[in-house]
Amino acid sequence: MTVKSLLIAAAASLALAVPSALADDTTGLTKDTIKVGVPGPFTGDASSYSKAEIGLDAFYRHINDEGGIHGRKIEVIKADTACNEARGIAAAKKLIHQDEVFMIHGNSCSGVALAMKPTIEEAGVPWMIAHAVADKLSTPVVKTIFHGVPTSRDAGTFMAKYAMSRPDTKRIAIVAHSNEWAQSYRRPLVESLDEDHGIEPVLDMTMERGSTDATPQILKIRQADVDFVMAILYEAETAIFLRDAQKYGLDVTILGGYGTDLENTLKRVGDKDAVKNYQVLHMFQNVLGEGDLKTWGDVIHKYYPDEKLTAFSFAGIGSAIAMAKALEAAGPDLTREKLVAELDKIRDLDTGVLASDVTFTPEDHAGAKDSGVAAFDENGDIVIYRSWGQPF
Amino acid sequence: MTDTDTSPLNATRKPASPERGDAHRWLFYLVPVAALAVPFLFNDYLQYVANLMLVYVLVAVGFNIVLGNLGQLAFANTAFFGMGAYATGLLMAKLAVPFWIAIWAGGLAGALAGFLASAAALRGIRMYYLAIMTLAFGELMRWTYIHAEAVTEGSSGLGVPTATVFGIPLDTEAARFYVFLAIVTLVVKATANLLRSRVGRAFQAIKDNELATAALGIPTSRYVILAFVWSGAVVGIAGGMFAIALGRVVPESFNLLELIMHFAMVMVGGVGSLAGSVLGGVVITAAPELFRSYPGMQELFLAVLIAFVLLFMPRGLASLLARVSPLFRERFYRE
Repeated sequence: MTVKSLLIAAAASLALAVPSALADDTTGLTKDTIKVGVPGPFTGDASSYSKAEIGLDAFYRHINDEGGIHGRKIEVIKADTACNEARGIAAAKKLIHQDEVFMIHGNSCSGVALAMKPTIEEAGVPWMIAHAVADKLSTPVVKTIFHGVPTSRDAGTFMAKYAMSRPDTKRIAIVAHSNEWAQSYRRPLVESLDEDHGIEPVLDMTMERGSTDATPQILKIRQADVDFVMAILYEAETAIFLRDAQKYGLDVTILGGYGTDLENTLKRVGDKDAVKNYQVLHMFQNVLGEGDLKTWGDVIHKYYPDEKLTAFSFAGIGSAIAMAKALEAAGPDLTREKLVAELDKIRDLDTGVLASDVTFTPEDHAGAKDSGVAAFDENGDIVIYRSWGQPF
Repeated sequence: MTDTDTSPLNATRKPASPERGDAHRWLFYLVPVAALAVPFLFNDYLQYVANLMLVYVLVAVGFNIVLGNLGQLAFANTAFFGMGAYATGLLMAKLAVPFWIAIWAGGLAGALAGFLASAAALRGIRMYYLAIMTLAFGELMRWTYIHAEAVTEGSSGLGVPTATVFGIPLDTEAARFYVFLAIVTLVVKATANLLRSRVGRAFQAIKDNELATAALGIPTSRYVILAFVWSGAVVGIAGGMFAIALGRVVPESFNLLELIMHFAMVMVGGVGSLAGSVLGGVVITAAPELFRSYPGMQELFLAVLIAFVLLFMPRGLASLLARVSPLFRERFYRE
């Protein structure tokens, strides 16, 4: 092959490589199946979040056992992102271009979801975000991208509102990871404290992922005499923070973001006394083993008998209920456009799972706005609060 | 620098036969020429993976210069990678600098990071101490990306606009592939030439015995700086390509886990081997993709692969190549 012919081949390849027009809007559909891509961090140090994707898979298997949607069974194709941006893009591209899914549902890890967003947006594949919370994922609105859990903006604002709903809250400290997940809570939290409540945090500190000691942060908090701590940390670091808080006798309320849940934190810390002051954002109406969480927990165990349930297990279920409703409403002649149109019509949907109703409009794809806060009461039972001292 | 004819670095090596020299040349270009077919054969996803492979080939080539060729236990590779990515990304996003300038500027930024990292080595810090200092340097750089929010946009990351070459937007994986392939071919060729030159022999001499090399009048400090700077430049260019491939630069991409993957590429490919770096970059990038649809298997497979290679091919995959063909032993692989 001559150099000239190689150059011609290269040029021809460039011309052919123009993005295959938005795939046919029935891509991933057969008369019997709907292919759904479920990306998530199944490996890596954030793999505990993949429970959200396991929950999703169980939900869709349950739908299949109930007869599917208009006779079509959901075929879930999982793709591991390892909570890594480069691998996340690869996962999205594999689902879209190799597996040719009809839609994507899932993804934990906000930074990875943000990295995947341009790829999914460009392909025009409907994407229901089931766990990642960064508000930039759904704001500004992209026609085909929907947010099925409260965004970090709403969560951060709620954290400020909740802390200030306690009458004596005056001095607030923030401890957060430096990554986008934590900062996307922290920014609206600080803004809301300033704009809505007229206060600034007295301490605004970082605790990096992988930290094994929180002594400096705890001692600073003690010295600053704060009365509320916002600990926007992942599970492992939260356990370390609480352990050291107990060690140094820090006796203030500590509020966590969606990175942890109360039951799992208790298991990690292993000492009820260490978590007595810990409260955490809770996106559900109930606690584990109660109400619809019990029902869906049983469903998850039906398909994954050995799965250990945590709050993350249910993070995708609310949006899956919304998705099933839209797929049903779109009718047997399903297309991507019809699905998107039906999602846009969902109003005040009580999923029985999420603390917030789900509403999508063409102008707002952040469907769930409200949160609760899970805390131990004086009897050691978990209670969900709407605001300080006000049970859900 | 001693430039007299008596310098041990000027000692001539036995030249390869003309036939073998031609074969080498063809062999070197055969891979990139064959790779031109990739966009014809693979879908968008696999083309993206191919682009990542090209990025990581340079990452491994650059890392191997300091680790394998100079023999220094230095782990500032993520600093070089990040500096290149941020320099390229920032120039394109904030100053609308054309891709062709920004990508080489990424190399310059990586070279600067390499120069800074060499400062520790020049102070006589070696082995574990150098390892920990350079690790700290990498983490310091990551801290800077996070906290220099006004410039880098902090933890949320920097969006990188679509690169354009001669007015053609690199908005497809195929377009990026051809440009990346050209860059990688150029940089690997330049590195191969450098390593075969008196400079490369100086690196090898320092690796073998630094004191003895200095005693021969060879200015080891200069060569140490040069190795770090060249390594930084190569990895910095890879960083620029990474920014283009992902369309985004985030601090999390330059963490310790990433460094471990870079290390794995060099170890699996073959420490001190250029061909090994290429192989390591390709294999370690491709391996997890084989198991992407099998949750939990990616890490397991990667661990098994690394363990297998280290146990049965301690000199990496390059030793396999050297067994297959003496051409690789002579040209790309040093026993």
